[in-house]
Parts: sequence; structure tokens; C-alpha cells
Amino acid sequence: MKTGEIVSNRVLQDEYYEVKFYAPEICRKTRAGQFVHVKIENLKDRILRRPFSISDVSGDGVLTVVYKRVGKGTEALSTLPAGTVCNLLGPLGNPYSPPDNEEFPVIVAGGYGSAATYLIAKNSPGKGILLLGARSKNDLILIDKFTAAGFEVRTSTDDGSQGHKGFVTELVDRVIEENKDKKIRFYACGPTPMLLALAKMLQDRGCNDAELSLDHLMCCGVGACFACVVKVRADNEDGWRYARTCKEGPVFKASEVYTGE
Amino acid sequence: MVDLTVDLGKFKIANPVMTASGTFGYGFEYKDYYDLRELGAVVVKGIAVKPSHGNPTPRVAEVAGGMLNAIGLQGPGVDKFLHGAEYMPFLRQSGATVIVNIWGKSIEEYCEVAARLDAESEGIAALEINISCPNVKEGGIAFGTDLKLAHKVVSEIRKVTSLPLITKLSPNVTCIADFARAVAAAGSDMVSLINTLTGMAINIETRRSYIANITGGLSGPAIKPVAVRMVYEVARAVEIPVIGMGGIMTGEDAVEFLLAGADAVAVGTAIFVDPYAPLKVIKGIQEYLERHGCKSVGEIVGAMEKP
Repeated sequence: MKTGEIVSNRVLQDEYYEVKFYAPEICRKTRAGQFVHVKIENLKDRILRRPFSISDVSGDGVLTVVYKRVGKGTEALSTLPAGTVCNLLGPLGNPYSPPDNEEFPVIVAGGYGSAATYLIAKNSPGKGILLLGARSKNDLILIDKFTAAGFEVRTSTDDGSQGHKGFVTELVDRVIEENKDKKIRFYACGPTPMLLALAKMLQDRGCNDAELSLDHLMCCGVGACFACVVKVRADNEDGWRYARTCKEGPVFKASEVYTGE
Repeated sequence: MVDLTVDLGKFKIANPVMTASGTFGYGFEYKDYYDLRELGAVVVKGIAVKPSHGNPTPRVAEVAGGMLNAIGLQGPGVDKFLHGAEYMPFLRQSGATVIVNIWGKSIEEYCEVAARLDAESEGIAALEINISCPNVKEGGIAFGTDLKLAHKVVSEIRKVTSLPLITKLSPNVTCIADFARAVAAAGSDMVSLINTLTGMAINIETRRSYIANITGGLSGPAIKPVAVRMVYEVARAVEIPVIGMGGIMTGEDAVEFLLAGADAVAVGTAIFVDPYAPLKVIKGIQEYLERHGCKSVGEIVGAMEKP
């Protein structure tokens, strides 16, 4: 099998897909929270790569990406059959710091943010909790994998079709209350508005070592083009600076995230 | 054996392929991919007197055959560039041929950054004067679309530095050859072209521009025919060396620019698609020269036949 070759590419549920690449070298290096930059081969007049969180890696060199069909890139990717060889760059970006034996991991994920955080759960020495929020029950993905990894999963949906009706951030305080005796370590990935709200909340509660994975429209993937920037706190007159999510992130400490205007 | 070296008058480069400013960061970002000495030159992202946030996001949009960007010259400022470990100190150590792209909001700022770099010029082969960024309100393109201002900014910078000067020209003008003549007369040792073409794309569902700056610079294969034509016009208008760029993805693309009259080329957007693109372009040029029995790059510069 060639490096970058698609092993399988299938519908996971609804508009969500799971593609597996043969990429032993990337698998060996990957840590939770990193991403792979994919050149999708049948994109016609579109030339740029697409970044995807690495959802899982296996000892035999198979890398899993879970994606939602949302635009031209993911639409084209969803049609690629097994055997197609894609050029992959990675693993890129800074990973999450894994929880240690003392820590109780609580993952807060929005939408397909569960894909980007699964490796934390898989590699965690102790069990933890996943708080998973989405628009509707069809958007809640990978619950079974987290459950298999020993995590308790609590859900929320905007429409109330499964779990708590409302935002996933509304589940956070109860978890803190219930686990007062433990050393909680928060991890998060999801849409930017959710992450900014969560960062503010965690800053207020003193959870400054919480780690959030932020992203923005990405181009080069290695820190050269300055397209994918987000505001982080900085010691300058504005109190913020633009940081490249591909190179300086995508994982940032909650204390770093700039939540002002 | 083909000789790939190119003599640009003020200095020589090992091969005709540079990186286009803004597409290769400060070189540091690609250090794990290959030895930067393999490139003809590393042209770094624009440096100004002070640090700059750049534009709000979104800053890029993909379009047919390329992309729009309005990064807005985010950068560390000249102090950090000269002394921050991942900037000039790294580049000096890398042994790469380094060209520093500079910009300012006023002629004074252009001169200040040029003078600062001149004072600590070890490892700097040349300065590239950016008078063509379409994405900043002050400076940049204001100087690149007015013949008198273009002449003025280059002649003032000429007074404060002995480093070789390359002026990067804007394609967003009626006659680019006039600008090449103006900056050559002002003391520019070379010209580079083209910078991006101003463009726009609108999301028809939200009725908003895809880019926060509303307009952005178009780059990628879509602009290559325009760039080749402009290089052709400029090469016939001035005696000084011409560095051609705009949508080069392959060695064949680069050869077109050389035939049109470019002495060297730069690879830009292609690096976002493939970090190894510049090396592949070098190899492609070499293969072309071998296939055509040429012994040096110079043999094909401006060697386009009449129709």
C-alpha cells in the first residue's frame, strides 16, 4: 500500500464521513489534537489543501479523519474511492498536553469537535467525561467510541432532540460541582463562538490550564501565510495579537484566548 | 551539466528560483522540509519599522485557479526581525541567500526600515521594496500606482542603503513598463513582478465579501498569463534584471517567464499547495535546459521566438 492511499471512505451518519488513510509515518508521530493537511485530488480548479483533525491512528499505520460534507473540498473528498492516493502533510500543529494519572479529563466538544478530541480519551490513563453539544441528534458523532474508551458522555442539542436542550457550555458547571474532589483538566474543540464562550467561562472559574483547539480558514498549514490567525492575549498596548492557529495552535491554553472585542 | 547559477549583477544566486514574499514566512517555517540553501533565494515576508497586526479575518478565499488574500502585512517589525531567534539570526545560520522585503506607511518609514537593515546587513543579499501590496490602506500600493511616488520612494531609499535594491511592481496599473523605467531611473538595481491583482469574491447567500477587507489580491495559476505578458513588457523596457512571478506551479511555467525575459523567477502560491514546489520548479527548469541542449539559464532568458 502507498503512503496516502485511502483504505476506506464511508458515511458515518447523515452528512458525516469517515476516511482512513494508510500513513504509517504520520501515525507514528501523531499526538492528540494535531491535524493533517490533505491535497484532495479531484478538486478541479481548486488547488489548496484542506486541513483535518486527526481523529484516530492505529499501530498498523491507518489514520482516521472524520469529516462533515460542508463545501467543495469535503464534497470531493466524499467521492474518493479506496485506492486513491492523496498527498498528506503532517502531523501538523501543537497537540493537547495529555492528562496525567492525577487528572480527571473533561472534554467539551461542539459538533465534529468530538473527532479532534477522541485521541485524548483513547490515550487517557483514567476515565473522564465528554460533554458533547450539537444542533440536533444527527450531529452527535463518535459517542460510541468515547463510551468504549471508558468515558461518560453527556449531550446537549440546540433543538432538544437528544440530551440537554441548549448549549453544551451549560453542562460545565455541574461537572465542576460533581467532581470538586478531583483535579479536573478541561479540553475543548468546536465552533469558534462556543470556544470563546467556554474560554471566558473557564477563565472566570480559574481553569487556566484548560486547552482549547481553535481554528480559522487555513492555507499553508505550516505558519507561513498568516491566514488562519485568531486573537490571543498579548503584552502590548492592545492586549492582543493575532496568532497562527496552524503553527502556534491549534491548541491554546484557556488563559491565552482573547475574549474581548 | 547545466549551469543553473544566475548573475543578477549585484549578486549571484545558485539557481533562478526564489520564494515570493509572503508565501514562505521567514524561511524558519520550512526549515524541517529542506535545506534553504537549495533555493536561489529566500524572500521573506514584508518587514516594517513597527510590529503590525495585519487585517481582520477572514483573510483568504479560494477561487477558481487560485486564491484571494488580504493578510495586510502582519509582521514582527524590524527590531524583532533582526534579533528574534526565528528570524534573521536563524536565516544567517541557515546559509540561505536572503532578500528582505520591506514596506512602510510613508517614505520616512521605508527609509527607516531600509537604514536599520543596512546597519545590520550581514547575511542580507538585497532588499525588495514592496510598493505594491493591495491590502493596506496606507503605503504599499499607493506608492506603486503613482509614477512620481514610485520614483521618489526608491530614490530616497537609495540614499540610505548600499544594499542591492529590488522594486516589486504592482500589476494594478495601465502600463507597468513605465513603473519599471521610473524605479530603474531612481536607482533600483532590479525589478520583481507581479504582485497580486486586486480582486473580489462575494458569498451570494450572505451577500458579504468572503474577505473582511472586502478586496484582496488574486494569486495562483489564474494570473499567470497576465504575469508573463507584464514580464515580457518590462524586460523590453529596462536593462536591469527582472525577477518574474505570478502563478508559477511547475518548471514549465517558470520557463515561460524566462523566455519572456525574466532573469530569475519566484514561486508563491504553489508553496501553499506543496512546500516542495520551489525545488520541483528548479528540477523542471534543469530538465528543460537539458532537453534543449542549453548549458546555462541565461541562454533562454528572453529567448522567445517571433511569431
